[in-house]
Amino acid sequence: MSGGDDFLAAYETPRLARLAPNLFAACFPLMKLLPARFMLERAQADGRLRSGGPVAETTSGTFGLALAMLAAVRGFDLTLVSAASLINDTLRRRLEFLGAIVHIIDDPEGSGAQRERLDRLNAILKDRPETFWPRQYDNPDNRLAYGRLAEGITHEIGHVDCLVGCVGSGGSLCGTGGFLRELFPELTMIAVDTHRSVLFGHAAGRRLLRGLGNSIVPSNLRHEMVDEVHWVGALPAFGSAHRLHHDHALFMGPTSGAAALVAAWHARKHPEAVTVVILPDEGHRYQNTVYDDEWLAALDGWPVAAPDEPETLDRIEARGESEWTRLVWDRKPAPTMIKAERGV
Amino acid sequence: MVSGKSAPSGRRSDGGANGTGRQTERWLQVGVGRAMAHHGELLQGVFEGADGRLHRGLITLPLAAQQSLVTFWPAGEDDIRTRPADRGKAARAAALTLEHLGFANVGGDLTIESDIPVGHGYGSSTADVMAAIRAAAAAAGATLRRSTICRLAVEAEGASDAIAYGDQTVLFAHREGRILEHFGGEYPPLVVVGFRTGGARPIDTLSLPRARYDGQEIEQFRVLRGLASHAIRQQDPRLIGRVATASARISQHHLAKPRFEAVAELARAHGACGVQVAHSGTLMGVLFDADEGGVTTRTTALAKTLRQAGFKGIVTFAVNVDGVFLK
Repeated sequence: MSGGDDFLAAYETPRLARLAPNLFAACFPLMKLLPARFMLERAQADGRLRSGGPVAETTSGTFGLALAMLAAVRGFDLTLVSAASLINDTLRRRLEFLGAIVHIIDDPEGSGAQRERLDRLNAILKDRPETFWPRQYDNPDNRLAYGRLAEGITHEIGHVDCLVGCVGSGGSLCGTGGFLRELFPELTMIAVDTHRSVLFGHAAGRRLLRGLGNSIVPSNLRHEMVDEVHWVGALPAFGSAHRLHHDHALFMGPTSGAAALVAAWHARKHPEAVTVVILPDEGHRYQNTVYDDEWLAALDGWPVAAPDEPETLDRIEARGESEWTRLVWDRKPAPTMIKAERGV
Repeated sequence: MVSGKSAPSGRRSDGGANGTGRQTERWLQVGVGRAMAHHGELLQGVFEGADGRLHRGLITLPLAAQQSLVTFWPAGEDDIRTRPADRGKAARAAALTLEHLGFANVGGDLTIESDIPVGHGYGSSTADVMAAIRAAAAAAGATLRRSTICRLAVEAEGASDAIAYGDQTVLFAHREGRILEHFGGEYPPLVVVGFRTGGARPIDTLSLPRARYDGQEIEQFRVLRGLASHAIRQQDPRLIGRVATASARISQHHLAKPRFEAVAELARAHGACGVQVAHSGTLMGVLFDADEGGVTTRTTALAKTLRQAGFKGIVTFAVNVDGVFLK
């Protein structure tokens, strides 16, 4: 460790914004720095990663950015594997400026090339067996990293009744929620997903809202902890991000928009309960997309009439990008829920 | 704290032998010191220090009604003898204190009068050590900072607790004898129904193996520390009760209290804030909000239920509450 990199803590420390009397938002500049740093430090502590050693990961988003920042500051040798449909030039250039080697897999149909990315990663691991692969989807240290967020929440807010968060790896929601439930067993946990993500039983398909959802089910997602799941389409998520900016001067990314939409609805419905929502990153990366009128105008269905509340489903069902649905999940394990759905 | 007549005895080691006849000798007097018991902890685990490393630490639950009272009678230059006879740690603590204050080779008698039961986690040994340090300091006409008392206690005993801090809430590194965090406040107002679990036989609390916490528990302790800080700032007994219960649950993996879940259920049924334990001892306590209406009725009912269930040493005491509250 090169030391003297405490300034990175500012990226992983959320500001708490009170959006309503009973609604607090934990606004992160770059949330993924929290698990990235924790995983690398734990790996160094137990010898899975040596100082300055090689690190490789398959990622298309902010986890890769966080790893690249750490690699730059702490002198790791980082290789990232992404897919053409998942990464834009701006991010790729930023990663490369930070010193990361970026492999990009071609995926003309925009599938995300999950399988091919893993194949490439395995080839890298085979080539250099001393490489540390953080495996954010399955590494339990991902969830453990969120003790720091839960500490900030209890320190500043005290009692919490409901936690709302996006799910991609499951680390932030299930990690933070798990720590809070040791103190508040009755805590309601609401997962925010998007249509055609497989996390809560949709068939995989093209998704316009990136940074949450997944085309595989990570083991850091603990379905049996989740009380309620919301599927937010890309358009209401974008609209909500705009409102966060306009009403609260919070310049956050589109997944933050999705989470804030769900949290504000829950807080309105439960005025006596304290709701906390995790907003994982800022809007800068989306300046030319979600915050660009021309880009938005080209979207089918934009401008969207902002729904006030979700449609409550009684079965798992994917909808269009303009829609917002919810299902009472009731802390069931995934197979139970999905089998019941299929009438097995 | 000083009583009795001046008793010529040990002398200050510097300035005593310069042969000028203008010695700056300071004479020791009879000194008295007190220290209170505790009723285990509200929180115990490992916590990050300012140095970024993990330290074992705790928040003590003070039990002011039971005390150790130590009197030091300086006499001669031989050993410090104790009454009762087998209190070597207290004698050592008194000697270390006098040495710290510049008195070498002091002998005398140390009388320990304590109503704190031994070997259940009430901190009887530490209370004797702290009271001995205060008695020795009083004998020298000196006052000591709390941090100095703790450091001397660790030197005498190998561990200490936060009892020197009295009604101030601190996160205390008991193996090192120093503060990890000043929470900057007093305890939220609590009424505690305390009792002993398991065998009535005393145990050697200091020789218990140290808990080895896993990664999940270590990160959980951060969250408990965060809520403890909030609860003390807001003087919120409900939230400090949540902290204590969660800490006690983790302790179940290391030094399990028999019938823990049954007690937790009784606590819920009686409208308590939570349960706490002595992490190295047999004590458990049920915490109530002292300001809540009907608290006396509920603590009385719980004490009765616990007695019927066969628990021993049931005592009701208050922390940071007006008046006398001891049954």
